[in-house]
Amino acid sequence: MSITIQNASADTAVVCIGKALDFRNAKDFKEACQSRIQDGIRNFVLDFSGTGILDSTGLGAIFSLYRQLTPLGGQVVFAAVSRPVQVVVQLTRTYKVFRQYPTVTAAHEQILSRSTTNGSRAGAA
Amino acid sequence: MPQSVQFRDLSTVIDELHGLFERWERGEASLLPLDDFNLQVMKFAVHEWVANLVQHADFGAHLPLIQVAIQPNGERVHCMIEDNSRGFDFNHQLVKQQQAVEAVLPPDRGRGLLIMIACTEDLRYYQPVAVTQAGGQRHRLEFSISAHRKPWLDIPF
Repeated sequence: MSITIQNASADTAVVCIGKALDFRNAKDFKEACQSRIQDGIRNFVLDFSGTGILDSTGLGAIFSLYRQLTPLGGQVVFAAVSRPVQVVVQLTRTYKVFRQYPTVTAAHEQILSRSTTNGSRAGAA
Repeated sequence: MPQSVQFRDLSTVIDELHGLFERWERGEASLLPLDDFNLQVMKFAVHEWVANLVQHADFGAHLPLIQVAIQPNGERVHCMIEDNSRGFDFNHQLVKQQQAVEAVLPPDRGRGLLIMIACTEDLRYYQPVAVTQAGGQRHRLEFSISAHRKPWLDIPF
């Protein structure tokens, strides 16, 4: 049930959720993300490809991360969402908050393109 | 086909429970009439309650017992979860959760009961339902999942 995090770029990390994000490891998830935020990470891609369990505690931890990152201009996106997670996302209408991508690569590309666009706008202004 | 399984070890019950559902998902045992979506909803609801038991139930000196029974009944599947803990003040916890999510800054946790009520039908908590020979009590949660209902929640996180 270990959660692994890898930096994909200077401000983006990919979180491999693994088998479950629930009451048993939600605290570990939060602490791991917190540590990366302190290192300057602002965008998190949550890789749900092998995830069979996402419960209300796990979802709460994700929203906590979202609430922390939004004022900093960061984002949390979902990638490779498994069927069990997809049902929870539909059930809780979480898709309204978190964008979903078919793969981690697609999610990361979107984040990069958003960063470039924002950077260009900032440069133009 | 009725399915009834007992769990004794709180440290492994969640994984064992999900192993059971994975067998159903693979079609090794039938939970007709539920489709894949509603089977996942059933799993989610059962998980939430058993997670609640693992985290908060007081089993005293008793060896914990959690019994999950699932039975198709016409267009619905009925679920009954019994345990030998000292039980919960269900209504009090429910009011606490409702008040918490309506707060200006809602907490990250404490939505399990609200989610279960929203995604199931006829959810009821009985305590105690039986006194065992050893003097222990049994408490029971029951709910149904309908084959043709696509529930969605509107609970703020």
